[in-house]
Amino acid sequence: SPTGDSWGIFTFLCAALCNLPALPALNCSEELGAGQSIQQTYDLTRYLEHQLRTLAGTYLNYLGPPFNEPDFNPPRLARAERVPSATVDLDLWRGLTDNARLAANYRAYSRLLCYLRVLDGQVGTAELRHRLAHFCASLQGLVLSIGGVMSSLGYPLPAGPAAPPAPPGAPAAPNDFLKKMDDFWLLKELQTWLWRSAKDFNRLKKKVPPAVVTLRLEARGF
Amino acid sequence: DSPIQYERVGADVTMKCGSMDWDAAVTWTVNGTDIDESHLNGSYLILKNVDLSQSGQYSCYEGSSWHLKYQTQLRVGTPPKEPVLMCRSNNYPKGFYCSWHLPTPTYIPNTFNISVIHGTKDMVCEKDAIPKNRCHIRYLQLFSTVKYKVTLTVTNPLGKNYTTATFDEFAIVKPDPPESVVAKPVPNNPRRLEVSWQNPSSWPDPESFPLKFFLRYRPLILDQWQHVELSDGTSHTITDAYAGKEYIIQVAAKDTDIGTWSDWSVAVHATPWTEEPKHLTTEAQITETTSASTSSFMAPPTTKICDKGAVVGSGAVAVCWTAGLVVAAYSVLFI
Repeated sequence: SPTGDSWGIFTFLCAALCNLPALPALNCSEELGAGQSIQQTYDLTRYLEHQLRTLAGTYLNYLGPPFNEPDFNPPRLARAERVPSATVDLDLWRGLTDNARLAANYRAYSRLLCYLRVLDGQVGTAELRHRLAHFCASLQGLVLSIGGVMSSLGYPLPAGPAAPPAPPGAPAAPNDFLKKMDDFWLLKELQTWLWRSAKDFNRLKKKVPPAVVTLRLEARGF
Repeated sequence: DSPIQYERVGADVTMKCGSMDWDAAVTWTVNGTDIDESHLNGSYLILKNVDLSQSGQYSCYEGSSWHLKYQTQLRVGTPPKEPVLMCRSNNYPKGFYCSWHLPTPTYIPNTFNISVIHGTKDMVCEKDAIPKNRCHIRYLQLFSTVKYKVTLTVTNPLGKNYTTATFDEFAIVKPDPPESVVAKPVPNNPRRLEVSWQNPSSWPDPESFPLKFFLRYRPLILDQWQHVELSDGTSHTITDAYAGKEYIIQVAAKDTDIGTWSDWSVAVHATPWTEEPKHLTTEAQITETTSASTSSFMAPPTTKICDKGAVVGSGAVAVCWTAGLVVAAYSVLFI
C-alpha cells in the first residue's frame, strides 16, 4: 500500500540520520541546525554592533579631536587598505555564492580581530582595555560561529591570518597622528562590516533550507 | 522687451531716464499709471525703501513729445537665505534622493545647483522632473565607509547661499510608510481586529533587505496609543480591543538593521464585530416565515442568497439550486 511505502522510507531516513553522528565532518545536530546557527550568527552581529557603538565612542574620545567629532570625514589614505573593506559592488554582492559570502565574513572578522588585539595591547586607560577585551572576546565568538556555519554546510574554512598583522612591506605608522588614523579606520570598517553582515546573514537565512540534509545524504552516496 | 532690474527690499532705487539730461522734463509711469512728481529729482525717479508692491514696469516719456525714452522691469526681492536640504534613501540599496527648498521666498527667480562627492569621486545627482527641487543618485557601491557630501548652492540676481549635508550610506535609510493598510473586524470576536498591510512599493528588495513594522492603535475616545513591534509579516491581529469602540490604526516600517522609522501610514478606522441585538432578529424571522407560507413559491427573503450580485462562490449557488428544487417539489405537490 502507498502509505506503507511512505512509512518505510521515513523509518529508513530516521535510522540513517541517527547513525550520522558517527560520520566525520557531518555532525547530525549541526546539519539540521544550520538554519539555527545562521540565526544565532545574525543575532551575534547585531549584539556586536550595539557593543561597538559604545566602544567606538569611548575610543574616539580617547584619541581626542578631530577623531571624536561627528562630521570628521578624512580622506582614505593608501595605508588604510590593509583593513579588509566591506564595500562591494551591488550586483557582485547579490551574486555571491553562500560559500563566498560566508568566507568573506570569516576572513574579514579574523583579520579585524587580529588588529583589535594589537590595539588592546597599546591603549592607555584601564576602562578602554576592559572594553576592548570584552569586545574581542565577543568578536572571537562571531568568528567561531561563522566557522561553525561553514563547517555544517560542508564548506572549507579559509586560511586564517597566521600572526598579528603587519603584512610584509607595510611599515608601522610613522607618527602618532597616522597611527590614530589607522585606529579610526579600523573602527569604521568594523562598524560597516557588522552592518553588512546583518544583510549577508539575512540572505543566508532565506537560502539555506532544512532540506539540505537530504542533499548531503545523496552527496555521501546513500 | 525691456530689461529686468532686480533690487533688494528696503533699498533706495534711482532710475535715470536713459540719456536724458537731469533737468529734462519727463513723465514716469509704473504699469501705465503716472507717477507723482514728488518722487522725481529732476528727471530721475527716486524710490526710497522699496517694497514688493513696487515691482512693475517703469517707463519714462519725454515731456512734450511723449516719446518713450527708457523702460525697465523692476523686480523687488531678497537674496536667498540658507536653503534647507534633506537627503534620504527610501529605496535602499538602490540609491538616495535629495530634496530642497528655501525657508523664505525671494520673490525673484532662483537657480539651484547640487553637487555630490563620495570620497574623491564626483557623482551626478539626476534632477527629477516632478517634483522639482529634487534629484536622485544610484549607489555604485554598497556598504561604503566613506561619507557622502552633498552641497546645494542657490543663486539669484541679488545673491548666493549654500548648505552642505554629510552622511553615511546607512544613516539616511528611511522607508516610505506601509501601503494598503486594511483593518477588519473578526466575526464572532468582539475584541479582535485584523490588520494587514503591504511593504511600501518604493522599497525594491524586501527579500534581502527585510522590513520590520510598528503598529499603533487606540479607540477614538482615548488619547493613549497601544504599540506593537513586529519583526516580520505584514499582518497582525489585535486581541485587546474594547468591544464596540471605533479604533484608529497606523503602521510604520523600518529596515530591520539600519536607518530610521518611516512616517506613520495613512490612518484606518475599524470597529470590532458586535453581536446583533437578539430581539430584532427574532421579530424579522417571524415576519419572514408568515410571508413564506402565504407566498409559498418565494425563497425566504432574509437569506438573500439568490439575490443577483450577492451570490459569491459555488456554495451559495448550491443553496440556490437546492432552494429551487424544494420550491419545484412543493409546486408539484400542490398541483
